[in-house]
Amino acid sequence: MTNIFSSSIPAIEMQKVQKVFKNAAGTFHVLKGLDLQLAQGEFVSIVGKSGSGKSTLLNMITGIDHPTGGNVIVNGVNVHTMNESTRSLWRGNNLGIVFQFFQLLPMLTLQENVMLPMDFVNKYDFDERPKRAMELLTLVGLEKQAHKLPTTVSTGQQQCAAIARALATDPPVIAADEPTGNLDTKSSDVIISLFDHLVRSGKTIVMVTHDPSLTERTSRTVVISDGELINETVAKAFVNLSHHQLLDLTHNLENFNFAPGEAILTQDQSVEYLYLIVTGNVDISLRNPKGKRLIVTSLKPDQFFGEIELTGSGRSIANVTASAETPVSLVGIKREKFLEILASSQITEEAIQNVVRHRLEENRSARQKMNGGKP
Amino acid sequence: MMRPRWRKVFHDLINNLSRTLLVVFSIAVGVFSIGVIVGAYVIISNDMSQSYSSNHPANVELRTGPFDDSLVSTIQNVRGVNDAEGRTVLSLRARIKGTENWQTLNIIAIEDYSDININLLNIDEGTNQPNNKEAVIERKVLQDMQVKVGQTLELQLENGTIKELPVVGIVQDASTAAGDFIANPFVYITVNTLPYLNEEPLFNRLYVTLAENENDNTHLQTMLTVIRDKTEQSGVSVFHSRFAKTNEHPMASTVQAILGILLALGILILFLSSSLIANTLNALLNQHLRYIGIMKLVGASRNQVLQMYMVLILSFCLIALGIAVPLGGQGAYGLAAFIADQINFALMGYRIVPLALIVQIVVGLAVPLMAGFIPVLNGSKISVVRALSDNQMLEENKPEQVEIKKETFVEKISLRFTKLLSKRNIHIPRPLLISFRNTFRRKGRLILTLFTLTMAGAIFIAVFNVRVTLFDYLDGIADYFMADVTLDFDQPYRVKDITNRVMAIPGVADIEGWAYASAEAINLDESLAENITILAPPSDSTMVTPNLIAGRWLIPGDEKALALSEQIYEDFPDLQPGDKIRIKIYGKKEEWTVVGIFKFVPQEGTFAYGTYEYISKITHQNNRSFSYRIMLENHDKKNQKAMGVVIDDYFQNAGYNVDQVRTGDSTLKSASESLDILITFLLIMAILTAIVGSMGLTGTMGMNVLERTREIGVMRSIGAVDRAIMQTVIIEGMAIGGISWLMGAILSVPITYLLSDIVSLAVFESPIQVIFTTTGFLIWFLVVLILSALASLFPARNAASLTIREVLAYE
Repeated sequence: MTNIFSSSIPAIEMQKVQKVFKNAAGTFHVLKGLDLQLAQGEFVSIVGKSGSGKSTLLNMITGIDHPTGGNVIVNGVNVHTMNESTRSLWRGNNLGIVFQFFQLLPMLTLQENVMLPMDFVNKYDFDERPKRAMELLTLVGLEKQAHKLPTTVSTGQQQCAAIARALATDPPVIAADEPTGNLDTKSSDVIISLFDHLVRSGKTIVMVTHDPSLTERTSRTVVISDGELINETVAKAFVNLSHHQLLDLTHNLENFNFAPGEAILTQDQSVEYLYLIVTGNVDISLRNPKGKRLIVTSLKPDQFFGEIELTGSGRSIANVTASAETPVSLVGIKREKFLEILASSQITEEAIQNVVRHRLEENRSARQKMNGGKP
Repeated sequence: MMRPRWRKVFHDLINNLSRTLLVVFSIAVGVFSIGVIVGAYVIISNDMSQSYSSNHPANVELRTGPFDDSLVSTIQNVRGVNDAEGRTVLSLRARIKGTENWQTLNIIAIEDYSDININLLNIDEGTNQPNNKEAVIERKVLQDMQVKVGQTLELQLENGTIKELPVVGIVQDASTAAGDFIANPFVYITVNTLPYLNEEPLFNRLYVTLAENENDNTHLQTMLTVIRDKTEQSGVSVFHSRFAKTNEHPMASTVQAILGILLALGILILFLSSSLIANTLNALLNQHLRYIGIMKLVGASRNQVLQMYMVLILSFCLIALGIAVPLGGQGAYGLAAFIADQINFALMGYRIVPLALIVQIVVGLAVPLMAGFIPVLNGSKISVVRALSDNQMLEENKPEQVEIKKETFVEKISLRFTKLLSKRNIHIPRPLLISFRNTFRRKGRLILTLFTLTMAGAIFIAVFNVRVTLFDYLDGIADYFMADVTLDFDQPYRVKDITNRVMAIPGVADIEGWAYASAEAINLDESLAENITILAPPSDSTMVTPNLIAGRWLIPGDEKALALSEQIYEDFPDLQPGDKIRIKIYGKKEEWTVVGIFKFVPQEGTFAYGTYEYISKITHQNNRSFSYRIMLENHDKKNQKAMGVVIDDYFQNAGYNVDQVRTGDSTLKSASESLDILITFLLIMAILTAIVGSMGLTGTMGMNVLERTREIGVMRSIGAVDRAIMQTVIIEGMAIGGISWLMGAILSVPITYLLSDIVSLAVFESPIQVIFTTTGFLIWFLVVLILSALASLFPARNAASLTIREVLAYE
């Protein structure tokens, strides 16, 4: 199974997607102008609390729900310009959906359930369909259960069959809504291993989940809170903050861009932000009195710098430059906001203090090294 | 202030209007039908005899030679006679002035319309008392002639002259010739008008009512003999005599058959509507299980839940009764009026039938409450955890189900069958499999729906079979009336002369002159047993193909020999071919030989065949005849009619006294008229059951779709377009239709026998040979498929219009 799309086109792109519900109690903004791009071959988890809008977001991608504003483009097709019936056909060809409750049709055997999408979208020769269904069931380890009805196999096996069904028409994108939410740990492992296998074979998988152990196995995690996406870099940097706090930080970010090799901070410069690296690498260096530059460490995307200065003297203890190879994109959190967050989250403060200690130690070692072993 | 739980009941009632309407409609259909049937049953069985007896029908009727008032006075003085009246009946051709269409009408002359006490005339329009040189018509005239009050009738006399009579009224005569479909329509004039029509002012019919025991057959028979003897002693010949009860309409047996079928239909519809109600309420309760769970969670007891839903059902019942009771009353009177119009009797006026009202209320309350009780009881017993689980509606579709189930018997069969086919490389497309397997998922509902449709189908097919059976029987009767044109004259003409003239007309193939005679079969005690009408074709006639059930047909040389219709068995059950029978013919009592007995539709009296050669001799009409049977080269109806006009014109112009020219099918038409009423009625009944059946199917498919919205959403999510979704629903409906057809086809066999026996016993008083036709099976096959497709169309459209968001109900 190979991905037929060129990797230059995003698998999924959401542009300013809004969803507003109105009822007697008032107007509710479930999605508040989301922008999101998922690349081909990514294994993405969408996490968020109950009612955060994560399933609505997935429904926008699958075309199950309609946005109030904005566009959802899947494999170059604007999903919501089609009518319901055409969209069904399009979905059958381009998207495999895995539901939390499997949603196999109870009157059809597992093999027949897998053949059903091929019948609906008229893909593959009629006589080839049983063979292909068996191949897919073999892939998910259900070849011996192929002729059984869903109610006569275990829930784990039902979900495996649902995955086989999602793969029936070889769609490039698989959307899964809490696929392990109703399974025991062992069955969940089987499902996630299957997803890994599919991603390796080029499928894009986007999965809504509550389970943090699953997000660890995905290549990317998108966090949604109150209908807004939390900046992914912020989310990775501050794993101990609540979604509400992360969202607050997301609202208070400033963007910075630097050319390769461009200086970001110079030693002793006053520091006003905590910088988080979105793309590119950042070199932390010291200069000896002779002007020789020693790189203390290189920071990668999702790492941050500036915390020593913000929690200490306020002046940079090193030079910070964009690496020579790639441009650098940063987001910055202002001093006051950063300190406010630390004050409100003891565990985060402790984590930051650990980082500060560790980095100060690194700095000290580097200076010693630069000074020929003198402190 | 209304308690919250009763407010919930009220909310359930008005919030989902389409569901409320479906339940109310299911109940109302049954209540309406029962109301119509019971109401019509009561109205007809009451009014038919009441309206008939209120017209003072004659208990004894004599067709005689001419007589005057003195005989009437004599009979009035006979002990046991209540009243007697003389009337004149003559047959003349008539047309509306200014038109060309001649009809033969029976003109009845009555002496004093203000003093009629027998066979009363009810006014439809204008007056029922014509003055001299005026005419009042009986409403049956209107079937063939669109004559209005104020128009003028032209009557053609025997000598060819035309006399005019203005029409001053239209009446209904429910008594004279009641049940005699062959009789010509009546026109009433005064006796004083007779000379104007070149007729003597003398009577030829005597109508008598009895003073007592007028509903006792033995007494009636005795009085008939007394009155006939008295008449003959007065020197007046009696050609034909009959007696009739006061309280029994001559068509009572046909109507009895209709009422019997009505009652059967009522019981059937009651069953059908209860299954419809049970289905609908079951689905309603399924939808409400979650609410029941919530109510129990907050402390509702089983009894409180039970009460709430029983009150909800009661509310449905009351709304349905409010709609169906008044409509049922109107429908009952409408149906009764239709039947009364067909049979020609007047109803006693619109009224509410208390029995129908009670039955409607009982059915409208008891059936839904009973049908709803079990589902409500089960619903009220549901555990909170199950009621609140994600999808409690379908046991087999419980997505969070942990327990692994075994395949059911039906599932096993279905899977094995599909496997067997796939081994032979026959793969059924999955959407089709969904339809077929869905068919058997809700077994209880399927059984109820199948019951409804199967009964409808079986009755529909049976009606066609019975129709063919009856018409086959009539076809057999038609073998006695094979002539294309019957030419009757007012006086006898030489057979040779008429034969030569007719044969000269192009298109004529053959002609026979027939003789007629009236006779009476006589019992050993000299009392009258039966009137016998003798038809006498030439002994080598090619225009009769009898259906003999005993003995032989007439042969040349037969004298004093008769072939009798099977009705003779009513008076002489042991009669055998070769036996002698005593008859009174032309005033003489003689013994004739019965050579054979043939099958025939029951008529008043017995039909018999003798030979022309002998009968014409005893009637002194040798080689002459009043009546001629003509065979044409081309037998189609259009040609018969055209040739009838040609022959009529020819003899009119040649100066012959033509009485009437009838085309071949007209005799049969009269004979089959009573059957037509029954057949029409049976067809209406079949269509009604088909409608109820398809309504049941619509309800079932609607509920199926309602319960399977989640699955429909899943199908949508994996690529099903509108058409695919609709196809799954429609094919499921058609599969149910197909199964019901198969079951209906099998069940139609015993129902055909049953229905055929009911009808033939009521009408012919003996069972007839049942004939099966493929027509009913084929038509019902198409009808049930179309009906099921249509019945599924609305639910299918609903299914296709559901968005996945609605049906998968996220967040």
